[in-house]
Amino acid sequence: MTNAAIVSATDLVRRYGEGEAAVTALDGVTVSFAQGEYAAIMGPSGSGKSTLMHCLAGLDRPTSGSVVVDDVELAGLDDKRLTALRRDKIGFIFQAFNLLPVLTAEENILLPLSIAGRKPDRDWYDQLIETVGLRDRLTHRPSELSGGQQQRVAVARALVSRPAVVFADEPTGNLDSKSSADVLELLRTSVDQLGQTVIMVTHDQDAADVADRIVTLTDGRIVEDRRTQPAVV
Amino acid sequence: MLKLSLRSFGARKLRVALTLIAVALGVALISGTYILTDTINKSFDNIFTTASKGVDVSITPRDAIDDATQDGTAVSTIPASFLREVERQPGVAKAVGTIDTSNVALFKENGDRIGGGGGAPTQLSSDTPAPFSAVTYEEGRAPTGMGEMAVLEQTAESEDLKIGDTLKVVGAGPQTELKLVGIGKFGGVSSIGGFTLIITSLEQAQELADQHDSFSSILVAGDENVTPAELRDELRRLQPPTPVNVRTGQQQADQNTADIREALGFLTTALLVFAGIALFVGAFIIFNTFSITVAQRMREFALLRTLGASRRQVMGQVIFEGLLIGLIGSVLGLLLGLVLAPGLRGLFKAIGADLPSEGTVVEPRTIIVSLVVGTLVTLLSGLAPAIRATRVPPVAALREGAVIPHGRGARFITPGGAILAVLGVAALAAGLFGGAGIELVGLGAGLVFIGIALLSPKLVPPLAGSIGRMFPGVVGQLARENSVRQPGRTAVTASALVVGVTLVAFVSIFAQGLKATIAEAVDTAARPGSLIVQNSALGFPLPSAVATGLEQVDGVTSVSSVRFSVSRVDGVGRTAVTSVSPTLPDVFDTQWDQGDNALLRDLGRDTAVITKSWSDSHDVKVGDELALTTPTGEHLRLRVTGITDDNSGVFAPITVSNELAEQAFGERQDAIVFAGTNPADEAAVKARVDQLLEQQFPIAEALTVQEFKDQQSGQVNQILALFYVLLSLSVIVSLFGIVNTLVLSIYERTRELGMLRAIGTSRRQVRRMIRYEAVITALIGATIGIVMGLVFGIAVTIALEDEGLVLSIPVAQLIVLLILGGLAGVLAAVAPARRASRLNVLESLAYE
Repeated sequence: MTNAAIVSATDLVRRYGEGEAAVTALDGVTVSFAQGEYAAIMGPSGSGKSTLMHCLAGLDRPTSGSVVVDDVELAGLDDKRLTALRRDKIGFIFQAFNLLPVLTAEENILLPLSIAGRKPDRDWYDQLIETVGLRDRLTHRPSELSGGQQQRVAVARALVSRPAVVFADEPTGNLDSKSSADVLELLRTSVDQLGQTVIMVTHDQDAADVADRIVTLTDGRIVEDRRTQPAVV
Repeated sequence: MLKLSLRSFGARKLRVALTLIAVALGVALISGTYILTDTINKSFDNIFTTASKGVDVSITPRDAIDDATQDGTAVSTIPASFLREVERQPGVAKAVGTIDTSNVALFKENGDRIGGGGGAPTQLSSDTPAPFSAVTYEEGRAPTGMGEMAVLEQTAESEDLKIGDTLKVVGAGPQTELKLVGIGKFGGVSSIGGFTLIITSLEQAQELADQHDSFSSILVAGDENVTPAELRDELRRLQPPTPVNVRTGQQQADQNTADIREALGFLTTALLVFAGIALFVGAFIIFNTFSITVAQRMREFALLRTLGASRRQVMGQVIFEGLLIGLIGSVLGLLLGLVLAPGLRGLFKAIGADLPSEGTVVEPRTIIVSLVVGTLVTLLSGLAPAIRATRVPPVAALREGAVIPHGRGARFITPGGAILAVLGVAALAAGLFGGAGIELVGLGAGLVFIGIALLSPKLVPPLAGSIGRMFPGVVGQLARENSVRQPGRTAVTASALVVGVTLVAFVSIFAQGLKATIAEAVDTAARPGSLIVQNSALGFPLPSAVATGLEQVDGVTSVSSVRFSVSRVDGVGRTAVTSVSPTLPDVFDTQWDQGDNALLRDLGRDTAVITKSWSDSHDVKVGDELALTTPTGEHLRLRVTGITDDNSGVFAPITVSNELAEQAFGERQDAIVFAGTNPADEAAVKARVDQLLEQQFPIAEALTVQEFKDQQSGQVNQILALFYVLLSLSVIVSLFGIVNTLVLSIYERTRELGMLRAIGTSRRQVRRMIRYEAVITALIGATIGIVMGLVFGIAVTIALEDEGLVLSIPVAQLIVLLILGGLAGVLAAVAPARRASRLNVLESLAYE
């Protein structure tokens, strides 16, 4: 089943610096991701995978090429509209330092809505909390949570505003294998049961295997784009 | 968002506290000033109202020129005949004349002076019958007839006086012994500020003040069916022999209160200037703290931006925090002002200005100004960092080491600083040399400070390098490099100290110049062997009998006296007038622009000499005629015969003869008396003069030229000390700034410090490193401050060269200032250094 493309990039080029010292991080990347997809972007150090994600998420402006997120062309958007996009349509999960240390888990999760001045959809919120499995940790501060728990809070936060797409940058990079598995399973569930789209950058093959599709970059170009084997039950 | 701000505060308690103190101290000085002056005004108000309670109408003499005399009383008095005329009016139930003068001194039987000596004045007031008198007697009774006197409880207590004691009073007349018959309360209060009040009967007062046919004022009480206003109007229709003011009792009280308020206005303004300085310094601290905090919270802001917070929301956060700190700090400052006000009062009392302040008056104005100013300053200081916070790129949340890009304006900081500094210098020059006014000087100084502050990051590397060279070893090297790492931050911290140091340096240089000028002028003018005789209550005059008495002393070769008055020239303004006796050239060598000492002998009744600066500014030459109006209302025409060019301070713009002063100006008392002696006999003659004064004129003191110079020097030093104390507040604020910056920079370098310790740096070495950094920062501030102080001091001295100001640099004091700056750094580093040395190595290394 082919769903509509939720994020697509066409001829994306990102160059840093001038002349002799110029570095080409992305060398003409064209890719699109469908709604309801769980995709992993892989590649060695310096392959441009992080840069690709930054451009797709509107965190960085490409030198040339276009990015469309949920039918909105990112090029030419001013800061105000980019900000609105981040608020309403895009969710983020970082490798570390996802949460504000002075707020509780619950407050962190609701932060995007507080910023937008919106109230949470109670049913969605409860479902999210159940799925993430943090009901008894909501009043704790990040310093009182383990690394794995912090990342799960981050996932909940990314999902709370029901974004069109969730970008995750090395979400398991700082976690032990048990916590990693928990977080990945959570992301999987959010795609399967909650209908989200997740695009994850990772260098960990085991993490990538949880996804439906792996896009591999080398030297700023896509060298491989394959479906993963369905998990054997 | 509100929650976020409040929670952030909780996490940064120490830093917030230090910033709060910076705001609070400046605001405290504002609120303390207002509380103090409002309280003093209210106290005087109460005193005057009490004094006029039983008085329906008050008649006081009106001088042609206000404040003509040194002691503030009117030159004119009301002839006694007028009292009789007033008594005859229908509607007048009772009328009395009073004698009030502050030209008195009170001594114990053993010769010790009570009051005076530069403190609150001594006042002689004649006793008035009911309903006029506000004095009630707990012990004894009111004085009657001759030979009796009363005082208030405060005086009796502090001087240990009892009913029956003998006291000596010296007024314009001869010294008199009086018996203490009453100890009383004024309006129920045991003292009036620090005033020493002497109450005697009317006849005794007339004798003491040598004023037998006239009164200082007339108090009238009307009968029941006449209101004070009606009585006043009735009495106004009379024709008094000399000009008078006729007011109701309440009006008189209001007038007195208004006069005091005007006089105090100067004090309020002066203190508020110091408050402004403290707040200015506080602004630097707040700016710095907010800048550092924004830099530290970069990831947090970036995170918020990735979550969709708009730039405005991020800026709103920082501004809201600024608002909160401003408000809380202002409230703290307001409360602190309550404590500071009595402190300020004590300070002024210490230099001899003992003002009454019963109770504590907090007007709504004080609260509003404190809160508004404190909050506004905080907000404005935090504005630039707030705007900076909006420039955090969202991607900074992902990466370490991301920096906030410089705004478009960053390139303009250095040239902007240079421009501001130049503009400031121009404004200063215009204010000082172009006569454009003192506000321009203040503005210019402010611009120069800000300009230098903007330029200072460029100064930090070379200064840190050279100052830091004195610190040995690797630790010293690290300290130097840390100071230079973020020159902007070091510069702003140091700049806060610059303000205080510049002012201290400038004031020291100015005072030194003043002392040198006085010394030089006195040395030039006073002939060897001259003795200077003045009232030991400085500023008050001497009865003319002193000069007469001195003439009789064996060994005194010549006696000359000088008097002070005022005049109106061509009917406008107030021009000070000096009058001299013809013998002045015997003891005083005047410097002349045109003319010579002989002119002073021949002043007579129709000539005058003027000073060079007055001649230049008013375009008056030798041979011109001056049209003067005197305080007693006489109109004179005097011919100018010479122009003096003298820096001694004795000569006012216009100088006339004593003869003329007595006759036409009503000035019967001497300000200073010079007694010439043969230098070889000076010591012996002085001994005899001292004896004479002790026996007959205890209010006078005789000084040699050296002693006089020392006394003047001492007075300048007193004011200087006052300035130092008031400036110290600003310096304390800037010290907090250094502490704040250190704490923040340690927090930022936690991992680095952990690494240093892990590779073997000892705790002590870490402490030393922090201490050296603090000292470098402090000394950078002190150095720039001293240089600027020198520049300002020299500029002002050159501007005042025409007035005779001499340049004298107190090198030793400036060196001490520099050393103190270094010590300040050491002090500021104590707590942060200890904190840094106590960091747990492992935790620090894992610090995120």
